[in-house]
Amino acid sequence: MIKAEHYLKPAWARRQFELALPLLPPGTGVALQLGGKRLVEMNEAGHDLIEGAPDVQAFPLMLEGERVGTLLLRLPAGGETAQAQTWGDLLAHVLQGMLEAEHGRRSVARETLESYREMALLQRAVTELNHFLKPTAVAASLLKEFDGRKDAADYGAVFLRNPDSASLELIQSFGENAADAFSRLQGSRLFAEMTVRETGDIVNDLPASPLWAGEVADFRALLWLPLIAHGENLGLLVLASRHSDGFAAGDLKRAQTLSSVAATALRNAQLYAAEQDMFQSFVRVIATAIDAKSPYTAGHCRRVPEIALMIADMAHQADSGPFADFVLDEDERNTLQIAAMLHDCGKVVTPEWVVDKATKLDCIENRIHLIAMRFEVLRRDAEIDLYRALAEGKDQEAARRICQERLRQLDEDFAFLEKCNRGAEFTSDEHVARIQNIARNTWHNSCGEELPLLTENEIYNLSVQRGTLNPEERKIIEDHAVHTINMLSQISFPRSLRNVTEYAAGHHERMDGRGYPRGLKRDQLSVPARIVAIADIFEALTAPDRPYRKPGTLNWAIGIMHRMKLDNHIDGELFDLFLSEKIYSTYAQKHLAAEQIDEVDIARYLD
Amino acid sequence: MSENAKIVIVDDETHIRSLLEQTLEDLEGEPEILVAVNGAEGLALIEREHPKLVFLDVMMPLMNGYEVCAAVRKNAVLTDITIVMLTAKGQESDRVRGLEVGAHRFVTKPFDPDEILDLAREILGRS
Repeated sequence: MIKAEHYLKPAWARRQFELALPLLPPGTGVALQLGGKRLVEMNEAGHDLIEGAPDVQAFPLMLEGERVGTLLLRLPAGGETAQAQTWGDLLAHVLQGMLEAEHGRRSVARETLESYREMALLQRAVTELNHFLKPTAVAASLLKEFDGRKDAADYGAVFLRNPDSASLELIQSFGENAADAFSRLQGSRLFAEMTVRETGDIVNDLPASPLWAGEVADFRALLWLPLIAHGENLGLLVLASRHSDGFAAGDLKRAQTLSSVAATALRNAQLYAAEQDMFQSFVRVIATAIDAKSPYTAGHCRRVPEIALMIADMAHQADSGPFADFVLDEDERNTLQIAAMLHDCGKVVTPEWVVDKATKLDCIENRIHLIAMRFEVLRRDAEIDLYRALAEGKDQEAARRICQERLRQLDEDFAFLEKCNRGAEFTSDEHVARIQNIARNTWHNSCGEELPLLTENEIYNLSVQRGTLNPEERKIIEDHAVHTINMLSQISFPRSLRNVTEYAAGHHERMDGRGYPRGLKRDQLSVPARIVAIADIFEALTAPDRPYRKPGTLNWAIGIMHRMKLDNHIDGELFDLFLSEKIYSTYAQKHLAAEQIDEVDIARYLD
Repeated sequence: MSENAKIVIVDDETHIRSLLEQTLEDLEGEPEILVAVNGAEGLALIEREHPKLVFLDVMMPLMNGYEVCAAVRKNAVLTDITIVMLTAKGQESDRVRGLEVGAHRFVTKPFDPDEILDLAREILGRS
């Protein structure tokens, strides 16, 4: 509607009349009426100046075929009507010209303002919609532009095409019982039509549409737009109104502007999600490869992240105590999970025979059998000695005694060596002396050479005091932590994951700085790195099968970890949280065998 | 919307003046809209008409927007005037300087007509 009363300023019109009146007979009255308002009146004679009154001539003012105002002119009595007509025509012509010029200017201005609007909308939409990296968040941000506006839709929804099935899935909506309403919309023939169209449209009288069977009683008008980015149809934006004629062309244009930006943002979000998925699957492949390398660590790389996240989530939730200020945002959580999955990735380059070294004499195969064979040779030598003595007619009793004594000695020695070989118990200095003593026995090989019962290498390995690994082999194992750092530092992690290496590489460090590979102290290690260390130890202690022992019980594992806390090996505050929040128990219920789960009196371990 | 609320637009650019004017004509209650084409004229208009809301350009001949704003703020009678500064530059320093001399809001050009309308409704709607 043209608001002509705004087109001319009263002051300007007044000036126009002031210039015109001296040319007219004295006592002439003029008035300008625009948009139903009297803008100016100059009427010294004081006669009525209204259209239809006697002697008053009216000159219509028109814009686009519409009458928007009137110039009224009244000449004093005795004036000539014809003259009034001439003057009036002139004045009206000038006013008409002004109005038309102003009307033209305003339509240009209106276009400009519309461009300003669109520019502002785009500017805001680009900033807001591209702020999100998740398709659901982009969709929510898009719908927010329509929800709650006074001229806008009562319902709105974003559907995304499932790349595998090509079917449309509702991912975000607003309105009363929106999810239900839109799922019914999905069953309509109109929706089927909407999904195949390449352009959007408005249906303003929905009940009259032949494709509509009243699926949603509340919907009287619909507006829809396909979401297209880079020529790919990603989904659909649908708005619905409770009112017929709910949508105008301007709404469609606005929706188009927003949708074009939203579609690009959605595509970016989908690409980002795909990248994330691909990266995660790579990480899983690596973790699976490490786990598969040894039957004894099967599932380790899968379970450590689980324990680590349980601890980290509890630390995050804590609103008092040492972790009151600890915050784990989504990126950090993701980082921790990946770090925990990859913490052992350096083991890919560790030889299996070291990883799996079940006994001290393991070397691709367990060399204890070689020693057993030599003992068997000595046993037979003893028996040969016996029969030789008998054949030579020596004292039978004495000969038998010597032989039995020798066999007993050999059996004892071998049993002792076998026990040492398993490495389950501490091998003391006396044990080492006995090993050396046993080694002094000699045997004869097939070439008749006299050899010591144990080789230097066998003595060296059997003398390992703790576990089965000799110092060189321990070094190889410890090197996996270095390899982990070397491997991970070659991956160019995105900014959000830049801490993966730090979190993964610190799992063998000790709070007192005596760990490896870098000998870092507690305050040089981040909380997540300390969490991975605890998760790693707990998983290893409770793992179903390790080469050197049976699966441990909860009590046993926690007892060992408690000593590690006292030794300043693991972080005491995290260990306390691990106990007080019963994380061990939650984990045990899910992953441990019934015989491993025993009652833990945590009060014993908490100060 | 309060009765007889007046809005003053002070800008030396013709198109900005008329675009703002045309935008503000859509306000309910049709407040009176007055315009001035430079800072000095603007200050005089503000002092004479005592509007409720002023849209004030920053870069203007004779007296720039900061000076006009500071002068209005010094006038104890005009304390209830809300001043919205218009700037083509989106620099933070401009904003800070504007707030220092007593502007309430900043709008960058080209402005969003809906933002202008919402702003005017909010300010004129306050009792």
